[in-house]
Amino acid sequence: MADRADKAVGPSAPPTTPHLVCRGVKKRFGGVEALRGVDFEVRRGEVMALVGDNGAGKSTLMKAIAGAYLADDGEFFLDGEPVTITTPFDAADLGIQIVYQDLALCENLDVAANMYLGTEPVQEGWHFLPRILRPLDDLLMEKKALAAIDRLKVRTLQSVRGKVGGLSGGQRQAIAIARAVGADSTVVLLDEPTAALGVAQTEQVLDVVRTLRDAGHAIVYISHNMADVFDISDRITVLRHGGNVAIYETAETTTDEIVVAMTRGLDKGANNAA
Amino acid sequence: MQPDKAIKTEAMQIDKAPSMGFADRLRVMRESQFGAFVPVLLALVAIWLYFGITEPVFLSPRNFYNLFMQSAVVGTIAVGITVVLLLGDIDLSAAATAGVAAALMAVLVTNVGLWGPVACIIAIFVGIIMGTTQGLLIAYIGIPSFVVTLAGNLGFQGLMLKILGIHGAINMRDPFVRGITTVTFPPFVGWILAAVFVVGFMYVSLRRQARRRASGLELDSSASLYGGIIFFSLLAFAAVWTLNSYRGVPLLVVLLIGMTALLSWVTTSTPFGRMLFAVGGNPESARRVGISVQRMRVAAFGLVGMMAAIGGIVGASRYASVSFNAFAGGPLLLEAIGAAVIGGTSLFGGRGSVWNAILGALVIGSLGNGLDLSGASAADKLMFSGAILLLAVAIDALSRSKEGASR
Repeated sequence: MADRADKAVGPSAPPTTPHLVCRGVKKRFGGVEALRGVDFEVRRGEVMALVGDNGAGKSTLMKAIAGAYLADDGEFFLDGEPVTITTPFDAADLGIQIVYQDLALCENLDVAANMYLGTEPVQEGWHFLPRILRPLDDLLMEKKALAAIDRLKVRTLQSVRGKVGGLSGGQRQAIAIARAVGADSTVVLLDEPTAALGVAQTEQVLDVVRTLRDAGHAIVYISHNMADVFDISDRITVLRHGGNVAIYETAETTTDEIVVAMTRGLDKGANNAA
Repeated sequence: MQPDKAIKTEAMQIDKAPSMGFADRLRVMRESQFGAFVPVLLALVAIWLYFGITEPVFLSPRNFYNLFMQSAVVGTIAVGITVVLLLGDIDLSAAATAGVAAALMAVLVTNVGLWGPVACIIAIFVGIIMGTTQGLLIAYIGIPSFVVTLAGNLGFQGLMLKILGIHGAINMRDPFVRGITTVTFPPFVGWILAAVFVVGFMYVSLRRQARRRASGLELDSSASLYGGIIFFSLLAFAAVWTLNSYRGVPLLVVLLIGMTALLSWVTTSTPFGRMLFAVGGNPESARRVGISVQRMRVAAFGLVGMMAAIGGIVGASRYASVSFNAFAGGPLLLEAIGAAVIGGTSLFGGRGSVWNAILGALVIGSLGNGLDLSGASAADKLMFSGAILLLAVAIDALSRSKEGASR
């Protein structure tokens, strides 16, 4: 791993030290060992694809990083500092945000309301009322939502006042990403962001991911779609049977090599080969 | 569509489909600020026109006065039920809760000799406790609201009978309690109230528009802005004029509008309301952003308990007595749920408005009143009400499936 860390990766030559590092992450569900001591890292300003066959442990690893699962064992480092992640709130405090495959948007609320759900700003004054009964600062929410969407260069969105129920899949994905980024995050975990999308919609989401990367976020990208992975990622981490296979520089590998690594692993002693 | 939209930032390009179908237009309209009013308002106007032609006395100020008073009990409870419907839950015990609160208040006033306001406050408090208890069972034990409130309905009916004692009815002569529905304001006070309402509405709408312009945000179209102001001004003055030509604006109408305005504000303009809609729309995503779904449930059932108790007190005042049949045994519960649903509040959660519950109550009240005037039998009235309710739920289900298909 160390010999790869000193190479500049990606178009904007990001810092070479990893931003988030996980070492020896283990997770067991009853008799099933979902993660058998996985190492993982992602730098700022890069897209790290996380691939593997079904049951390889991608989602488990991601949820352990996001605090949705409590890892049985393993260490997490953020900018070299050891950190503990036990709940989603720990992860959010550390600037780690996850966008789940199902997006978790409320279709009956408008875009701005969805982006600030749970963290709505309230107007100044009104201190005699408990916080949840103070008037919402709608205008601030709309302004910040517009700014966040502008940053991601989502051009097809008509208005942040439209209900999410009326939007396309790509627009919803963009909003879910914008919501994750809006919360001062540095690490964004994307779980199959293009799985349900058509070609144009996929391109729109990939544009959003590129914009995020260029803004210096560390992005973890789970996907089954090799075309997307090669399109967007700077490096690729391959998992198999809950263990590491290898980390590849996207520019120096091929789809075939990745698929073989995913399905058969490397030669003997495949686990922890990287 | 609106010239003002051009002010928006560049990234917000408008590529609205040039031709929208009627159903899409309906949906877009329903999603706008006051648009959800329109279908139920049209229904109300149609009913008024029909009965106005067939029974001219229907449109007399005296009848309107009675109509408002008759609809007040249903309206109050419907406003409360709307809050739990927004969560996707239902409350089948609201009418029985109202009955218990009314019976308790009546006993406290007539048998114990408590001062009217104190008895009312105790009754409202008990209503809140009854609602909250059901909410706790639903949220923390995990029993469906349908079952808990069905059991609550039976239990509270029994409780009401127990409080009322063997006679089954208590007459209300307390001047404070009776005053809630008998006091009317002198005409000039009515005009002042209308003027205050109009000026307040204009101030809020125009200030909002000015602040949006100052922040460079997308503006409401002038048509909807000024149309809204003109419409609500006309409505306020027409209502006051009608009521003044009979007895004047009743205190009850002012109280009901005030309470509904307060609840409307809480449900649409506060973090609490936002959470309510979020839980109703997608409980899982609400949970993930840290909203306590359980606590929202308990709070919503506490609110419906409060509104039901207030409805019970209004009913006791209106009928000048508390009897089992007026609350628990009668059609009050179904009329209140029907009013909320006819108002456009979705039974599936996440969509609706407390104002519409008032309009829905007026629809049900007008139907009953008009059919009474035209000498329709109880059988006809029941069948008519059933058809209207079915129509309202069908519209809800259709607009919901449209939303699902519009991805």
